[in-house]
Amino acid sequence: MFKRRPLQSKSEVWMRNIAMGFLILYMTIFLIIPVVIVIAGSFHQWNPLNETYKWIGIDNYIRMFSYPTFWQSMANTVIFCAVVVIFRVLLGLAIAYALNSKMMRHKTLFRTIFYMPTVTPLVAVAYVWKIMYNPQFGLIDNIFGLDINWLFDSKFALIALIAMTVWKDFGYAVILFLSGLMSLPSDCYESAGIDGANAWQTFRYITLPLLKPTMLFVVVTSIISYLQAYVPVLVMTEGGPGTSTYLSSYLVYDQAFKQYNFGFASAISLFILVLTAIFTVISFRVTGAQES
Amino acid sequence: MKRILSLFLVLTLLFSLAGCAKGKETAAASEGVTDTQADKGLEIMGENVKYDPNRLVNGGEPITIDWWIWASEELFRSIADAYEEIHPNVTINIINNPWDGYFTKLPLALQRGEEGPTLFNVHNSYENLVLNYMEPYDIDTKELTADYPSAASHIMDGSIYYADYGLSTGMIYYNKDLWKEAGLTDNDIPATWEDFIEVAQKLTEYDENGRMVRAGFNYNNYFYSLALGLNYQFGDNLFSADGRTCLADSDGMKQAVSFLTGLYEEYHIGDKDFGTDCEQSFYQEQSAMVFVWGFFVGNLKDNAPDLEYGTFELPTRDGGTPYAYYRYNGESTPGINRNATDEQKEVAQDFMRFFFANDEVQIALSQDGGLIPARTSLMDSEELKDTPIVKTIGDHIDRYAWPGAMPSTVENNMKIATEDILYNGKDVDDALKTAADTISIDLANIDFTSSESLYTYYEE
Amino acid sequence: MKHRIMKIVLYIVLALLGVVTVFPFIWMVLSSFKTNREIQSIAQSLLPEEFIPDNYLNLQQTFDFLRYFANSLIIAVIVTAIVIYTSCLCGYVLGKYQFRGKNIIFGFVMMTMMVPWSVTIIPRYTMFMQAGLQDTYISLVLPLMVSGFGIFMMKQNMEGIPDELIEAARMDGSNEFQTFHKLILPLCKNGISAIAIFQFLWVWEDYLWPYLMIDSESKQLLAVGLTLFNGRYSTDYGGLFAATTISIIPVIAVYVIFQKRFVSGVAAGAVKG
Repeated sequence: MFKRRPLQSKSEVWMRNIAMGFLILYMTIFLIIPVVIVIAGSFHQWNPLNETYKWIGIDNYIRMFSYPTFWQSMANTVIFCAVVVIFRVLLGLAIAYALNSKMMRHKTLFRTIFYMPTVTPLVAVAYVWKIMYNPQFGLIDNIFGLDINWLFDSKFALIALIAMTVWKDFGYAVILFLSGLMSLPSDCYESAGIDGANAWQTFRYITLPLLKPTMLFVVVTSIISYLQAYVPVLVMTEGGPGTSTYLSSYLVYDQAFKQYNFGFASAISLFILVLTAIFTVISFRVTGAQES
Repeated sequence: MKRILSLFLVLTLLFSLAGCAKGKETAAASEGVTDTQADKGLEIMGENVKYDPNRLVNGGEPITIDWWIWASEELFRSIADAYEEIHPNVTINIINNPWDGYFTKLPLALQRGEEGPTLFNVHNSYENLVLNYMEPYDIDTKELTADYPSAASHIMDGSIYYADYGLSTGMIYYNKDLWKEAGLTDNDIPATWEDFIEVAQKLTEYDENGRMVRAGFNYNNYFYSLALGLNYQFGDNLFSADGRTCLADSDGMKQAVSFLTGLYEEYHIGDKDFGTDCEQSFYQEQSAMVFVWGFFVGNLKDNAPDLEYGTFELPTRDGGTPYAYYRYNGESTPGINRNATDEQKEVAQDFMRFFFANDEVQIALSQDGGLIPARTSLMDSEELKDTPIVKTIGDHIDRYAWPGAMPSTVENNMKIATEDILYNGKDVDDALKTAADTISIDLANIDFTSSESLYTYYEE
Repeated sequence: MKHRIMKIVLYIVLALLGVVTVFPFIWMVLSSFKTNREIQSIAQSLLPEEFIPDNYLNLQQTFDFLRYFANSLIIAVIVTAIVIYTSCLCGYVLGKYQFRGKNIIFGFVMMTMMVPWSVTIIPRYTMFMQAGLQDTYISLVLPLMVSGFGIFMMKQNMEGIPDELIEAARMDGSNEFQTFHKLILPLCKNGISAIAIFQFLWVWEDYLWPYLMIDSESKQLLAVGLTLFNGRYSTDYGGLFAATTISIIPVIAVYVIFQKRFVSGVAAGAVKG
């Protein structure tokens, strides 16, 4: 570890004060105050348009738990998040492992290709995929000779959103795992080779444990971002058919900026925050448990 | 690395400069000139609401106001141009915010006070969001209702904040070429649903694999809209007698919804998966008949100018006159921003008077929007008496009921319910029950009473 | 032998995946040269019957995409530059200094990553409305000046810089500000590249906040412009394809420029954990 030393020169103290002062000020304005406002707001009937801000106790929460769309959206969000994260991790890890193997050439080309969807704006991509899913002239039905109305069939609509999101985002995991793999010390492999471990064993007992930090990073950042996903819904389905593709963040958007129920929307968003925290803790635990 | 970065910065700079230069150009071009000539020798317009163009607004000093719209930019531009021609000192900026999100953006903009739009188009289903920001018209309500009878229903505390410039409703649009191709003539225009199904079956086509290649009838994205109002044909009103509860789960509504799904599932004259956007499908001649409201006339003009189409009224169950064919709704006149500056408000009030009094404006609005003019005296005008909607429905618009300025929650929840039924296989009773429940929760927070009981034949 | 078959199989699988990944882009670009009628016809082919540039030419007439493009570029570059600087600065102090309360502050930084936009957007919106910042670019830049993700990445990056290097600079009489700007920043090129790409993309594709804040059409950003375009010309698929193509290309260009450093930057930042 690095040497622990107190701040010495004046300029160091200045540097710290400037940086941390700025950071604290910033976080107070953009994190702490907003969270306090939201918590307070969730106990009020709050509509900025007619300037209502009336204390109603826990009515928003009662309403939330009895609101059918809320539960549907929560279930959708959890499914959406879980499936996308799993696919992202599996695809990302597999491709990165393949790209990292000594057999492969043209690594840069493949890497560039796989990361291309990730660097494109989501709104743009969502519009393109919306047309790709069209049952009459969409690319997907035409190529595979299918006759599925992807975005209007409750069996497929959520899957369609998931498929698009996986396509768009798996490259992120590829890059992260690839850099993780490249930074692994090569002597582990050599000793494994001497011990006569086969490829799977090497992967399972040496590579995977060493990749733990990367895995944790990918899983946690993915969970956080997918619990907040709403753009695909906004562009592609508007929550339909019925309410079968409502995601919880879209519900917040809908309640806050279409119906102007700020209080109700605040309550829902706090629930998402709690959910995010729980999921994050779980993924830390699970990854930690694997180690022992 | 450095070279690339600097290249990047230079590009950014160039782009921004290009952007700025363009911005300045348009700003300079849109500046009004000082108007000194009050008396332009123009005729006074209007019947009861009169507009005298021979006076200065804002003392002739240049002034700019913003007007928010969500569609038909050309039409509203031409109205603004007509006004600017009389008052060259006034500049009206038209800002087109698409329908999706219009009522997200508008309240935000109105909260900015005088920096928000001075004039803004309103849809009456969102009245509750914007009413707080509206200034009543500075026009005598008696004069206004004399010209525009439907304005009477918009009187609130003795003032009118917005009225209707036209009445709209839904019709069946059919493709004339496909109609002919299927061996149909004008005599085949159906009066009963039974006939309608027969005609639609003739228009439906499949390929050799049994896949639909043309739908006889398509209501896909307007299922909820068609269902809301068809309940009248099946014997139930949309609202309870006191006008406070939406009867989205009445027997009549259930029957109407089941009937409509039956058109697809039983008679196969269309398909929920064929042409998910019925307007598009009609442009592409992939659907022979569609149900759309009057505004489709304008869309057809823009998107499929060469398509030959006709319209007919919704069929009925026995071919006779029903309690009501369907519902109608008003197309609302622009609202004035209460928090605009006094100068802006003066111009806006003057503009609205011009808007109401000018015949050409009203005729253009009704023609383009596929509307029955709310200014009833224009019904018989040369330009309007042959428009699709006036010809199809004008005679018995009295047989269309107006449920009032239904808050958007009604349509939104009916949309969810009908999609649940059509696409998710949900039980009709359950889906409509959920809709009715959610609507009543939402209505409890909104001050709304239905105007349905004012319907002429309400007692029938 | 087994080795060779493995290799071929691997190549085929990866190539297939690659095709799947790229295909939507190819389809999009090709479709942008088709007429609307052809795009929507039931009989589909990949190549246009005839390459027509009309969709691109009309685009500029109906919609000032060049302008949205420029706006987005300016905002994205400004925000990215600020975030890089604040991330490096805070990352340096948090990574290399020892002082009381450091861990608490870092804990809050990590929390900013966890709090969803849906929690902060309502109060943020209320605050900005009251401050009268709507329709200004300040409202777009201010809330994005600090990135928890960026600070986290840079802190990891900084910890990888040997203390001896900094000590040596201090010995030479350079004060901390000089050390930071002249020594540390150049050492972090890889990490900076990684943040640059992530941040640029996030700003470039950010939708809701600019949508809520910006009213004037002339100030609007590209992602919102795309939805405005679609709302106004929902029938013009060709135009939409052309507009989308235009909005995707620059990010890909930025990525290709930075990609080498990017991978090593991510490695130094995220992977160490």
